[in-house]
Amino acid sequence: MKPLLHFFLIDDSAFDLFIYEKLLIKSGITNSVKTFNSARDALKHLITQADILPESIILLDLQMPDMNGFEFIDEFDHLPVMLQEKIRIFMLSSTIDTRDIDKAKASQHIIDLLPKPLEISTLKKKLGI
Amino acid sequence: MSEKPITILYIDDEEHNLHSFKASFRKQYDITVASSVVEAEEILENNDFCIILADQRMPIMTGVQFFEKIRTKYPKPIRILITGHTDIGAAIDAINKGEVFRFIDKPWDYNYVENAISHAYDIYKTREDLKQRNVELQKANEELDKFVYSASHDLRAPLMSVLGIVNLALLEDDIKSQNEYLELIRQSVKKLDTFIINIIDYYKNARGVPVVTDISFEELVTEVQATIQYLPEYGNLKMTTDIDQDGVFQSDVMKLRIIFNNLINNAIKFQDKTKPNQFVHLKIKSTPKAAKIIVEDNGYGIKESDQDKIFKMFYRAGATNSGSGIGLYIVHEAIAKLGGEISVSSKVGEGSIFEVNIPSIHK
Repeated sequence: MKPLLHFFLIDDSAFDLFIYEKLLIKSGITNSVKTFNSARDALKHLITQADILPESIILLDLQMPDMNGFEFIDEFDHLPVMLQEKIRIFMLSSTIDTRDIDKAKASQHIIDLLPKPLEISTLKKKLGI
Repeated sequence: MSEKPITILYIDDEEHNLHSFKASFRKQYDITVASSVVEAEEILENNDFCIILADQRMPIMTGVQFFEKIRTKYPKPIRILITGHTDIGAAIDAINKGEVFRFIDKPWDYNYVENAISHAYDIYKTREDLKQRNVELQKANEELDKFVYSASHDLRAPLMSVLGIVNLALLEDDIKSQNEYLELIRQSVKKLDTFIINIIDYYKNARGVPVVTDISFEELVTEVQATIQYLPEYGNLKMTTDIDQDGVFQSDVMKLRIIFNNLINNAIKFQDKTKPNQFVHLKIKSTPKAAKIIVEDNGYGIKESDQDKIFKMFYRAGATNSGSGIGLYIVHEAIAKLGGEISVSSKVGEGSIFEVNIPSIHK
């Protein structure tokens, strides 16, 4: 059996952090979810934990104060490749703006933009599990 | 006549023409003269003109050639050609190449010139106004675009949260935990409702007709306090008021309510629960001329780098507990509409003081 995946949730909404942490754990897809209500804090965490970070999946919100999802991606782009390779990023957003959707699709670091509310079956399909 | 005099550049190689033109019109217009096209081009480098008059017969180049040369680089001024010899070829060139607005026959007649200048200025003014309107319209469109983008997010996000909670609740076998989910749904719906109320406030403020009445700050504050003291966030906060109203103050009660509601709600929302004595102190000093409103709290405070941005539309400072970024924008707009001012002084960890000054509106 495959080892369980490690998840990061980055979202300024306390509701959404609560909901998706619970949903991920309930689905059995993971038993390890770390939440951040600020993209800047999440970025700092990734950098300081670079050496010991397990293979991880980030579910990244788009519209956040201070540092938004795309700004996070811009910073992520400057991280060492060995750290980038451990991380797979999905954007998780309620946006229906085509510019956002196109921008997310065009980004080499974003695997896909998943609409809120998150459907576990969709996520599983994208992860190939 | 307009506030600013009409600026005119007149080019003629015959000095006495320049002098007589200046002598006739210097009281009405702001006139600059040049005796050669070379000099005229130098002047144009650093000066703006509404109207340029040029003699047709000049050494180096004709008036029409000069206009043709400067037309693309200086498109704003209206061009008038002064000519003593009306030959049809020059006239055709003047219109097609120099895009000249008027011909003035030499020797010129005072009234005719004045009339030409006044019409030329009308065109100049209309074009400039149109340009200004276009800039304003573009800005309004950009704002609308931003508004729709952010508003659609703020309308959709709480709904998607509710849907997420419902999906999660459906997975739950334990009936008892359903109440917890219902509570989350309640909060999310409340958030959406607050946003919708804000949008309506914004609209009323921006487009609504102001209703000016006598204001009782005592009544207004009591009314606002009644709506907030049952908020779950209210907690142990102590709110004190110090209202000193002397005489009749007139204003738009709707806008004042928006201002009080937002400032007090923010003070409550961003209180620092780790402190032992959270407070909001509201101080109002009102005279028949003006009112000063001070809302002071000992909450989280606002970072210095955020202080000049918090009044911008959809700007959200900080990540915790922040709203949609529209409240203080509406406050700012409402105060601007009332002809007042708002300022903030704040220190992170210590608290914030918002000071509002608004003049009384006399009916």
